[in-house]
This record gives sequence, structure tokens and C-alpha cells, in this order.
Amino acid sequence: MLIGIDVGGTFTDGVLFDDGRILAAVKKPTQADHLQESLLEVLDGLLAAADGKAINRIVLSTTLVTNLLVTGQGELTALLMLPGYGLPHQAYGVSRDIYFLKGAVDFRGRVIEAIDQRELQEVWQDIKQKGIKRIAVACKFSNRNHSLEQQIREFIRQNDPEMQVTISAEVSGKLNFPRRAATTYFTAMTMPEWNRFADRISQAIQARIADAEIHILKADGGTMPLEASRNQPCETVFSGPAASTMGATALSRDQQNSVVVDIGGTTTDISLLIAGQPLYASKGAQIEKHHTHINAFAVRSIALGGDSVIRCRENSIKVGPMRIGPAACFGGDEPTVTDVFNIYFKLGVGDSGRSQESLESLAASAGMDLQNLCFFVVETVIERLKRAITEMFTEWENEPAYKVWEVVHRRKFRLDRIIGIGAAAHAMVPVLAEEIGVPSFIHNYAPVANALGATVVRPTLALHLHVDTASNIYTVDPGGLKGSLESPRKFQLADAKVLALSCLEEISRQRGIDKYTVDAGFFMEEQFNMIRGWDRVGKIFEVGIQVAPGFIEEYQGVSE
Amino acid sequence: MKPTGVLFFPAFDWAITPTHPEREERLLYTRDQIFEEGIMDLPQIREYQPGLATLKDIARVHFCVPDIESQITEAHLVSAGSALRMADAVVTGEVKNGFAIVRPPGHHSMTVVHGNRGFCNINNEAIMIEYLRHKYGLKRIAIVDTDVHHGDGTQEIFWDDPDVLFISFHQDGRTLYPGSGFVEENGGPLAYGTTINIPLSPRTTDEGILFVLDNLVMPILEEFKPDLVVNSAGQDNHYSDPLANMCFTAQGYARLNQRLKPDIAVLEGGYSVESALPYINMGLIMAMAGIDFSNLKEPDFTPHKYKEPGGNREILQRIVDTQLRVFREREEKVAQTLAKQERPFRMEMRNIFYDTDYIHEQQRVELRMCPQCAGFKTIVSSAQHPSGKTYTVGCVSIPFQACPNCQAEGQEAYQTLQNGNNELAYLQNKAGDEYRVIDTRTKQETRL
Repeated sequence: MLIGIDVGGTFTDGVLFDDGRILAAVKKPTQADHLQESLLEVLDGLLAAADGKAINRIVLSTTLVTNLLVTGQGELTALLMLPGYGLPHQAYGVSRDIYFLKGAVDFRGRVIEAIDQRELQEVWQDIKQKGIKRIAVACKFSNRNHSLEQQIREFIRQNDPEMQVTISAEVSGKLNFPRRAATTYFTAMTMPEWNRFADRISQAIQARIADAEIHILKADGGTMPLEASRNQPCETVFSGPAASTMGATALSRDQQNSVVVDIGGTTTDISLLIAGQPLYASKGAQIEKHHTHINAFAVRSIALGGDSVIRCRENSIKVGPMRIGPAACFGGDEPTVTDVFNIYFKLGVGDSGRSQESLESLAASAGMDLQNLCFFVVETVIERLKRAITEMFTEWENEPAYKVWEVVHRRKFRLDRIIGIGAAAHAMVPVLAEEIGVPSFIHNYAPVANALGATVVRPTLALHLHVDTASNIYTVDPGGLKGSLESPRKFQLADAKVLALSCLEEISRQRGIDKYTVDAGFFMEEQFNMIRGWDRVGKIFEVGIQVAPGFIEEYQGVSE
Repeated sequence: MKPTGVLFFPAFDWAITPTHPEREERLLYTRDQIFEEGIMDLPQIREYQPGLATLKDIARVHFCVPDIESQITEAHLVSAGSALRMADAVVTGEVKNGFAIVRPPGHHSMTVVHGNRGFCNINNEAIMIEYLRHKYGLKRIAIVDTDVHHGDGTQEIFWDDPDVLFISFHQDGRTLYPGSGFVEENGGPLAYGTTINIPLSPRTTDEGILFVLDNLVMPILEEFKPDLVVNSAGQDNHYSDPLANMCFTAQGYARLNQRLKPDIAVLEGGYSVESALPYINMGLIMAMAGIDFSNLKEPDFTPHKYKEPGGNREILQRIVDTQLRVFREREEKVAQTLAKQERPFRMEMRNIFYDTDYIHEQQRVELRMCPQCAGFKTIVSSAQHPSGKTYTVGCVSIPFQACPNCQAEGQEAYQTLQNGNNELAYLQNKAGDEYRVIDTRTKQETRL
């Protein structure tokens, strides 16, 4: 049996899944300051339903790291940046405690400026005086050569073994220094709290069930074992929308182009499936307005949900954005979007009489006809959803391309279907789909699609290998591994692919997810001849290989 | 404040030949640098996706022999098309200015295209300018060609067009390909003074080029009052460029663009792929976006590394004086020419050499000496292609704002050119935006 739990902002959802069926679903309000308690409460409910049967795997999706970052409660961290030449220093504003150091590496991984030991000494003294206990280090092009970052870590270790140092090459090896610096900084500041959570939760789960695998859901729609998450807490941000999108993918299981509309209480999250595959945010997850290297789905959130309250202000009807409580038909005090759809389309959701009453009294106070009021709200809601969907298409179509082939073969997005998930999907999505002129798909499991998504997804891992045969260097992301080749002059693309696969297998073994590497596929294969004068002096290879988001073998669809 | 548009199209799957300077690797390190800098994430920058030019966009400028398809690859359509996308974004006001970092380049391509000249098949800037005039009705456009090689293609295309000001500074043609661009090349008889060449001595530094910019280029632009300024942005004046001998720096390029304030910059040459391009491209983007570029430099650069050649200032001052005079006398000179003109047409014979494809082309050009407009033009061109086949073609070009007489006579000339030895006859009617080619033997005509 499998368990998936999604700790959301308002509710915590969990499901117990076996053999194509959801055996139990538990929903509890999330206690913002006690995530662990909320999580265990749901887990205990599910375990009771499992009735002692063996649980093979538990996947958790939590907002812990997102909350820490959004509320600024991460641990105080100093960021040491080695930007070398290029943008002015004021372009980097991720932290108040940034120190700029000398030392630079270029795109070929050559050290073009050494570290100034005296400057480093002074900076370190200053950090110590401020009482800061964690340091993030980010050097431009450290993904090509991380020796300067390592020198700094070594210096600090020797002088102050208590100081925790995170270097950027080990956090992300992708190009984009500001994103890498931000990701490293966020990683360093959330690591202690995340590790405390990991300690407590693994203890609590092991006390209940001895040998279930515990996985954490990532923003990219894949899982990672709890132990592997300790060095990468930031990978867990925005796992909620990822759970929903993967849930929609799990329920639809085909190659169509779909919009996934997840209508929750307060917000609606919209994501795209292109030929059945979730679309990623091309600039990575954004945290506190900073781009990062965290691979996340392209999700557009709008402040509009089933519980968005309908009120009259200054003679006009306002739809949301606040949530006061549940819809009137579910016992709330004020009419919400759900109540309007309930009445206008005669859906018979909950206690329709309560919907009617609450809306009539609002209509009376606004001096409006009930029918007109409902029509206005429906129009407003549909219009806002439609606009958000259109913006997402346009964004996807306008993604840059860097090869002739990509430009010539560019396709327009043709929408096949809207998939509705979340508690309020039944009320709103069919109307939206009709308005847009495509079919809608709302599965029976739509209200718990997020927890189902978390339950059945497999671990993901993307690896990028950069090889420069002229300098005889290769670097691997993630992990910041660096090495040299045995015979660089004979090295070809095929060899690069073999090397990339073996690195992927090695990292998978370290993380305990090696059984999934059989599904790995190459997503990038580039090679460049390096010509100096008229002679070839070497080659540069860029190879990407990944275990893409997908589902564990046990999951073969739902049977009802 | 509006952002600056950047369109980066490195054509990672296109090369002339594997070891050619125009190869996949050319913008690889530029990609590394601008992506690592994260400059595309800044609010001052908006990244654009490449576009595709249509055959009609190309026909507005070129007579491709025997047809457009055989002279270009898809990469050329994307490169030219990307310049068009950038231009759209600038002219419609989505961005304050834009930089198309694209390859393949284009500024050596001339009106008639038999093959590749100086790494170029079709002229990206010229295609963009004709597109903008047609689509948005822009009238006066200035091109400042900052490539180290004379932009002979762009010069030839707008040679007889008084509404397009072409200014090129480049390494002296006596010492570098294509061997043209001398002070005396000032434009056709009806467009005298709207072609301005500034040949520079080898080893000229930032100081010399900025002197020319401040004392010649900027005053001329101010007087010409163009609707749009285009920088044909080659990057091979750099001290490390392997194909030229100048001493310009990344800081110098950034300062040049900060002062020139081009509306659109389109990448041309520049083959110092590691030591120059990553830094110059960063500098250009930063300068155009108004980002402080004082922290930008090449790793091997030290201040005062290069000194302006002795006596260069005096030489440059003379060029400045001469060319300012040429530019300011231009209307007077054209009026004199028209007054003295006895024959209705001015004829010229030309030889054009295509270095990349090793083609020798002969042209006979006749320009109608029209007092009302820029005058329609016929070109009879003959060249042996690498296949061994010799093509002789007759082409008519009716200018963008042609007078009714030139329009009617141009149409007649198209009929006339279909007789005789020409295998193909072309009509390029920019005034009516119609483009035709006819096979004179089969009488089969294609229209765009």
C-alpha cells in the first residue's frame, strides 16, 4: 500500500492507495504553526484505514520551506559573492548580508583572478562579529571550476570549524550566477530547520511503521528520499502545485494538450500539459521575486477559489480575493463563488437552500436582481480564468529558441481539454471549458488529485555534463563533481553520453533511487568543435540526461 | 521605463563549414557569458524569440539567382526573421530599443545575390529596413556600420537611396577585406552625401573611434534626423580579433553604443569568439539597457594597453572635415547634377567578387536620373556559379517612394528585359510591394 500526503496552505490531504483504488482519503485543516502535527494527524487517519497492512512508501509534500522563505524565518546567512567582471554589484540583491570578494573564473573554467586572502580574512571577521553562523558562497562560473569556492570553504573550516558553509557548485551547476547564488543562499538558510523537521518526521513515522520508504515531493513533480533532501531543502518548494499537476497527469494518462485547473478554497492554480507532459517554468521557481535554479512547473496562481467571498462594496460586486470560511452551502456565513455556481447552474452542491438564502440577502443589500448578480459573478470568474490561461499559452509560445530546428518546427498550442481538479472543480470547470469550446475532464478523484499525485510519482533526477576536451575537464551537475578524461583527443559525443549515464547511476546509488535509472533519457546532446586558427583544438560537449517526472511501476492507472 | 529587447539566436546547428569562422562555436561563449550573468532575468531586459523571414521580405531587397531558395538556408530565414521581430518590438513601442544577437551575418550581401560574399548571403539590416518602411511607413533611416570590414553590401543596396543614410567606419580598405569604403565613395548621383565612409588606420583605439563618433557621426545624425538608427554591430574592431588589426575594447564598444543610442542593433561580424565576443555582447546589452558597465572588461585587459597610432588624430580630423562638408553639401550637389544632366539615364559597369564562393559577377547598371524621386534602376548581371552554369539576368528595381513616371517606366523595363539574352527577368516594385520573376524561355512567372 502507498500513502501520499499533501500539506497545503489551508488543508492537509492524504490518501491511502492500493491496486488502482483510493482506499481512504483524509482531509484536515492545516495548522500553520504545527505542520508536523497536521501531517501526523492525517497519517494516523490513513494508517487506521490501512488496518495494519504493510505500507511500502510514504510521500510527503510540505510547505515548510516555502513558509520559511516567504516569512523570512530562515536562519541568518551571509552570502559571499565572487562576481568577477560584468554586471555592477548592485544588480545582486538577494540578501542584506552580501559580501563581494575578489576572485574570478571564466566560461572555460580558467581562474582569471585569485582570491585576496587578506580581504577574505576581513570579511570573515566581520561575519563572525555579526554573530552569523552560516555562509553561502557563490562564484561566477563555479559550475565550470569550483576551486575558488572550495578555497573559501577550506579557509573558513580551518579558522572556524563551527561555521556552516554551503558552496554554489554543489547546489546547482546550471548557468546563471544570480539564480545560483539565490538558490545557494536559500538552501543555506533553510537547511537547519529542514533537517530538524526531517529528524522529527522520520522518527515519528518509524515509530508507526518500521520500514516504509519516506520520500519528499519536489517542485519538479518527482520525489527524493527524505535522507537525500537534507542537502537540498529548496527542492521542496512549490511541491503543492506539483502534486496537483502530477495528480491530473495520473488521472488523465494520455498525450493530449491540456490545461490543468486546480480550484482550491482561496486560489486557483493553472498549469499546462503539452502532449501529456507537464510544462516547466523556463526561468525556474521564483522565490520572493528572485529567480532560482529550482526546477518547477510553470504554474500561474490567481487569487480566486471556490471559497472566495462575494461582497458588495460601493455599489459594485466584488469577487474575492479573501476567504472568510467555507461556502454557504457547506455551512459558511457568507456567499462564495461556489454558491453562485451552485445556484446559477443548479448544481445541487451541499445545501443549495443556504446558497440561495445567502445570495438573496446579498442581492437585496446590493439592490440587484439575484439572477443578474450571479451572471455577473460567473462572467467575472470565467473571464479571469480565461485570461490567465491565454497568458500561459502566449508565454509558452514565446519561449526563446537557440537552434534553427527549433524555430522552424515551432508549434502553436492547440488546446484539447481542460482538466479540473480540487474541491470546487465540479462547479466551475465544465462552464469554463464550454466557454473556451473544449471538453472538460473531471475525475471522481479530482478533489484528492493532489494527494494521489504525491502518492504515485517516481523519483526524478536530471544530470548535466559539460566536457571541454581542450582543457581536459568535465563537470557534473548536480553535485559539482569535476574530473578529467583519459584520452581527451579521442573523446566523442558517444563517450560523453556514456560518461553522463555512469554519473547519473552513481548519484542515483548515493541517493538510493538507482532502480529508476533504467528509465533515464537524454534531453540534451550538443557538441561544438573548438577551432583556433584553422585547426580543431578540442570539443565541447553539453549532455543532459534525466529520469523525467513519471509514475512508479505499481501505478497502472485508477480502476474507477 | 521600457525594457531593452534582446533576441539571442546563436544558430547552434549551422556553420558554413566545420572549421569556418562562421561556425556553431561562434556564439557559444557569448551564450555562456550572458546566461551566467543572468542578464535576461533583469527587469531592464526582455528576451524575444526568433522569427522567420518570408521570401517576400527577402525579395524586397534582393534578386537571388536563380531563386531565393537556392541562395539561403533555414538559418538565414531565422537570422533575418529575428531582426524583423526585434524591429517590430522596437517600432511598436514594446521596448525602448533592441539588440538582435544573430547569425548568419549579412552586411556584405548586395542587391543581386549569386552566392556568399564575406560570410553573407542575404543582408539582414537591409531586409529589416525595407520591411519597416513597407509595414510602418518609416521614411528616413540611418545605419551606422561598426563592423571592422566595410559594409559594402549595405552600401551598394542603399547607394542610390537618399532616405537611407549609410555611415561605415572600418579598417582602411587598402589593408583589409573587402577593399572598399574609401572617403570618396559618397553615394549615387541622386543620393550624394548619404553614404559616408570613414576608413581607419590599423591599430586605431577606442580614443580614435570615439573621436569620429563624437565629431562626425553624431553631428550628421543630428542633422539628418532619421526616424530610426540601426547599428550594424560587428565586433571585430576588437584588439583580439583574428581577422583584423584594430585595438577597440569591450568598454569602447559599450561607450560607443551608449552615445550612439541605436534603436536597433544587429550583430554582424566578430570572430574572436572567446576573448572578445562574450564581453562585447554583454557591453552592448548593458549600454543599450542603461545598466552601469564600469565593472565590465576583458580578463586580459589593462588600462593603457593600447595607444592610438601617432598622427592618427590629424588624419581623423581631416576625414571628419571632408565628410561633414560632403554631407552638408549633399542637396546642392544633387541639384547641380540634375541641372547638368543631359541623358535620362546614368550607366555604370561593375565587377563584383564573391570571396567565399569564388564567383566573378559583371553588372551593367542604369539609373533613371529622375528629378522627382530616387529613380528606378535596371541591373543586367552575369556570373558563372560554382556549378559551372553561367546565369545572365535582368532586374528592375522601383524605389520605395517612386514617382508615377518611374513606376510606369520600370514596369515597361521589366517587359523589355524579358527579351534578349536574359534567362530570368526580375521586377522589384517597392512602391507597390510586388515582386516577380519570369523565366524568359518558358514564360513561367512567379509572384510574391
